[in-house]
Amino acid sequence: MNTRLKEDGSSRKQILITSMLFMGLGHIVHFKQYIKGFFYALFEVLILFMLPTILRKLNDMVTLGIMKPDLPVKERDHSIFMLIDGVIVLAILFIFVVVYIISVKSALAEYKEFCIDKRLKTNKESISRALGKSFPIFGLAPSVGLILFFVVVPLIFSACVAFTNYSAPNNIPPNNTVDWVGMDNFVAMFGGEAVWTSALGRVALWTIVWAVLATATCYFGGLIMAVVLMDNKLKFAPIFRGVFILPYAVPSVVSMLVWQNLLNGSFGTVNRTLMQLGWIDKAIPWLSNEWLAKFTTILINLWAGFPYFMLLVTGTMTAISADLYEAARIDGANKFQVFKKITLPMVLYQTMPLIIMSFTHNINNFGAIFFLTGGNPVVSDSTITSAGGTDILVTWIYKLTVNLMKYSYASVLAIMIFIILAPFAIFQFRRTKSYKEGEF
Amino acid sequence: MGNKVIKRINLTIVLVILTIFSLGVLYPLVYVVSAAFSPGNSIASLSIIPFGDGFTLEHFTHLFNNTNYLIWFKNTLIIALWTSILTIIVASLGAYVFSRFSFTMKKSMMLLMLILQIFPSFVGMVAIYVILLRIKGLDTLWGLVLVYLAGNIPYNTWMVKSYVDTIPKSLDESARIDGANHLHIFRKIIMPIARPIIVFLGITSFTAPWMDYIFPKMILRSADKQTLALGLFSFVTDKKNEFTVFAAGALLVAIPFIIFFIITQKTMVTSFGNAAVKE
Repeated sequence: MNTRLKEDGSSRKQILITSMLFMGLGHIVHFKQYIKGFFYALFEVLILFMLPTILRKLNDMVTLGIMKPDLPVKERDHSIFMLIDGVIVLAILFIFVVVYIISVKSALAEYKEFCIDKRLKTNKESISRALGKSFPIFGLAPSVGLILFFVVVPLIFSACVAFTNYSAPNNIPPNNTVDWVGMDNFVAMFGGEAVWTSALGRVALWTIVWAVLATATCYFGGLIMAVVLMDNKLKFAPIFRGVFILPYAVPSVVSMLVWQNLLNGSFGTVNRTLMQLGWIDKAIPWLSNEWLAKFTTILINLWAGFPYFMLLVTGTMTAISADLYEAARIDGANKFQVFKKITLPMVLYQTMPLIIMSFTHNINNFGAIFFLTGGNPVVSDSTITSAGGTDILVTWIYKLTVNLMKYSYASVLAIMIFIILAPFAIFQFRRTKSYKEGEF
Repeated sequence: MGNKVIKRINLTIVLVILTIFSLGVLYPLVYVVSAAFSPGNSIASLSIIPFGDGFTLEHFTHLFNNTNYLIWFKNTLIIALWTSILTIIVASLGAYVFSRFSFTMKKSMMLLMLILQIFPSFVGMVAIYVILLRIKGLDTLWGLVLVYLAGNIPYNTWMVKSYVDTIPKSLDESARIDGANHLHIFRKIIMPIARPIIVFLGITSFTAPWMDYIFPKMILRSADKQTLALGLFSFVTDKKNEFTVFAAGALLVAIPFIIFFIITQKTMVTSFGNAAVKE
């Protein structure tokens, strides 16, 4: 094969073919970049070497194992291991494809520069360039690896489970295998089984109401406190700030468990105090009346959540250049105008992604519900579905997974969370300034 | 003069309101402190007035002598420290790359991270369990650290990135002209200027493991590998109510936290960046 390259750009096709033929081949043959090419090639050799295993794992993922009731439990096909291994293999294949594309692109870019420079790069040049260019790769490698194996693979796995019958009592490995069932679980949850459908509607609605109220109360609570305490005429500001940070400093499991005990209907301190003061005659069912319990969760969440935003807004406000404030003061702006025209827009711009994230965090705020009310009080369908009056989707997922072992239904709920939140998150993200002005 | 009086009245009203809020914020905390030193076990037997039952240290001696409290504390501290350190390194490095470099699939990666942090990690807990089983990470502290670290990255990379975006690029460029490489710029320029957000990140990722219950419950089995959340929760279950012991244990966790917070909040609110960025 002729490895001579023409300088007028007409060898592009030749390079494309060589680098697509085998990963890294283009770098070795055309550009004499042996080290870079070697690592690319090594990766492809590894994948080819693993090919039989890869194919077997993918096949297992499709069949999910066969029932072998006569074998001892340990030797039977374990559908869940098969499914997870299949997802991991897919993830590795995905990385392989991406690296392949990158290698081809890199070869083409190399050629472009060759046409301009009219010569190959010396070894020294290409090594120092590779070091500079590879910084993003080394910088992101830990993030990508961890996210892939501990976030993406588990999530894809649980998305897959939504299309299987992985649930107690009949389909729990290793005793039994699990099978693909298509959309059966979705049909059951959306109209097929009345109890589950109504529970789903109730929980989904409350999840959204909860998240909106929880985020809004905490953000504005924190914002107001931050702005009030930034006023340098206020003498005891640091002391107040210190006090207001305290709920944030206390681990939330602790504070929620404390509130749970304080607000207990029969022996809780809050009720006993109010009764002794003569303000109420009988105990207020803070956590045992469905609607009051909902109100209580939001109130207690405000107690626990506003310090986060107070800290965040305070930090953001100190980043606003003092020149801006000075200019505003010289122009004769009053405090409220400064707040409305400078502080608020700047703070909102800086914290917008965090407000979105806080909303999504509250959709998933397991601790604030689980340790305060446990999802209770019990309502009419709770005995079958295990969903209580203050349960949000995630706490319900937890109960379905741990108590009822209905993994398939739990996965349907996880997909619902995705469907509710993903478009919302993307929409909000596109409205943010960093999307409009940034490099996107 | 009238103006001055109005201002003083306004300030007083603000002070009064803030004081009332402070009392509301402090109420449960003060009550826990008093419960920790009160005789008796259940919350039902406690006086409604803080410190109204007398004073005892028996719950603390009980914690140290009859429970594994110290081991729980040590385990949780190890987990939290490692999670915090590794999160700072991995997330800020990622944030720097996302803020300063352009590369293939950058946009889709950032979007993916935004979408991924939608899910609570435990949605995938069955898979995480099996993966840890495969890499022998079950019933180990580092297995738990890995899970926390991975869960922290998407959110925190975004947070640090939006901060690094506000640092003028002219700073890196002048450093690059002086011959500094990327790692040097990251360590010597970006990290110091981004210190407030790094501190914030360090604190949030340090506190999270103290609060978590689900993953320790799932991953840690043996008695010598339990964490504080698991231990404390065991004092106030449906079956038994040892609120005073719980309060004593909770107090010992909260005090170092509170001291730490009061120290670090100064760093977090002091002005930054301005001195370094003179354009």
